[in-house]
Amino acid sequence: AGGGRLLDRIRKWYYNAAGFNKLGLMRDDTLHEDDDVKEALKRLPEHLYNARVFRIKRALDLSLKHQILPKDQWVKYEEDHPYLEPYLKEVIRERHEREAWNRK
Amino acid sequence: KRFYSLKVAPKVSSSATAEKVKLSPESQNLEITKLPNGLVIASLENFSPASRIGVFIKAGSRYETTSNLGTTHLLRLASNLTTKGASSFRITRGIEAVGGSLSVHATREKMSYSVECLRDYVDTVMEYLLNVTTAPEFRPWEVADLQPQLKVDKAIAFQNPQVGVLENLHAAAYKNALANPMYCPDYRIGKITSEQLHHFVQNNFTSSRMALVGIGIKHSTLKQVAEQFLNIRSGAGAPGAKAVYRGGEIRKQTADSLVHAAVVAEGAATGGREADAFTVLQYVLGAGPLVKRGSKVTSKLTQGVAKATGKPFDVSAFNVNYSDSGLFGIYTISQAPDAGEVIKAALNQVKAVAQGGVTDADVTVAKNQLKANYLMSVETSKGLLNEIGSEALVSGTHTSPSAAAQKIDSVATADVVNAAKKFVSGKKSMAATGDLGNTPFLDEL
Repeated sequence: AGGGRLLDRIRKWYYNAAGFNKLGLMRDDTLHEDDDVKEALKRLPEHLYNARVFRIKRALDLSLKHQILPKDQWVKYEEDHPYLEPYLKEVIRERHEREAWNRK
Repeated sequence: KRFYSLKVAPKVSSSATAEKVKLSPESQNLEITKLPNGLVIASLENFSPASRIGVFIKAGSRYETTSNLGTTHLLRLASNLTTKGASSFRITRGIEAVGGSLSVHATREKMSYSVECLRDYVDTVMEYLLNVTTAPEFRPWEVADLQPQLKVDKAIAFQNPQVGVLENLHAAAYKNALANPMYCPDYRIGKITSEQLHHFVQNNFTSSRMALVGIGIKHSTLKQVAEQFLNIRSGAGAPGAKAVYRGGEIRKQTADSLVHAAVVAEGAATGGREADAFTVLQYVLGAGPLVKRGSKVTSKLTQGVAKATGKPFDVSAFNVNYSDSGLFGIYTISQAPDAGEVIKAALNQVKAVAQGGVTDADVTVAKNQLKANYLMSVETSKGLLNEIGSEALVSGTHTSPSAAAQKIDSVATADVVNAAKKFVSGKKSMAATGDLGNTPFLDEL
């Protein structure tokens, strides 16, 4: 239990050190867009997709002006939801299934 | 299991009195059970190496409302989408791998999902069939990708002018339910949502409205499967509206030089003596060609119309029965300038029958044609499955072919004349497509 709490604190420290939350981005906004991620993005419900586009636009604007958000608007570690993860997992599972079938 | 067909094959012996094993699908081999939750299970063990299993559901286009038109069309196309137990990819590849096939057939009143495969692989395809009928997921992106397919399906279907005429005929004849088109209306393509599909399935695919039918499979296997897996949704689901006949007309002016026209009145619902009388009347008047590429000279309608015009035409009696209504009338295809004469001549022929102008010999000929047609249609396993399934769904029973033949024989000439009288006196509906300059309106007929 103590080990779990420690791991959590390390995670939180790394999240803040990475710094993308200062641009108002969530972790899933920063994923490299390979084919799996592209397919998962196609499957996002509209409201999640629009929120993602807004965050990325805002971050691009800030980076162009070499600014960051004020501290109270930074994304907190606890509020960061991996919204793309279920869709991404499903896409990868389907790809594995296809490959397993084609190999047989 | 594959060797069933060899085990029961009659021993070939040169003796003239060799015992022949009866393999014809008589009722004694067909078992039918009704579960307490309303599901009907029917199976026929005919020892064939290929099995065919179908799930029949009382869920056709009549159960749509004006807010979700086109749902059944998309549902027809959605049979291979991902389900809770198998992804779309796996369903397609899985069925292909065992050499089976999954198909969906829908009418205004029912939908039937059927799989056929070699006997040994029945378990595999059964799993996919149950998944598709009881646990589809209708993932929003898969449904969205499927919507353009509606357009393609419609375009292929409407290449046949008859399809358009029949859709219009039903829309003209009924106020609701049966008036719903079987093909998705254009304004709904792209707008059918996953929630609407789910809603439709939840409300209509319930146990008491389903029948599980199998040919070439043991009854106990089917029963076990049904009890374990088809218990998901019980209850009667949403009741459909009762079809109300109104009698109207819809005309579609196109550049086509051939005019397709259908003039009908309300006919009989399925089952019952009236339905049989109408079917015999249909064959008395002439229903479909009997000789391939022949000219239907024996059909009464053809003879009547041939006196009215020398140009090419086609006319046949149209008869369709639904659970609470039916349509009976004539369907004509004629050159645009002749359309009026052709339709009037055809209607006069029916009037002649209504006034008693039909002999017992005519009726016997018609009965024989009808019996032959029916018996030939249940000879294929596909036709037989359809027949058993439809009957099991509507009444939970099965009429053997010999009993059906007897029912046809019991129709008297007087019944046929009465049926014709009902048509002549009934409120008519009409649908016509083509260059309608010379096509009369309903009130001019």
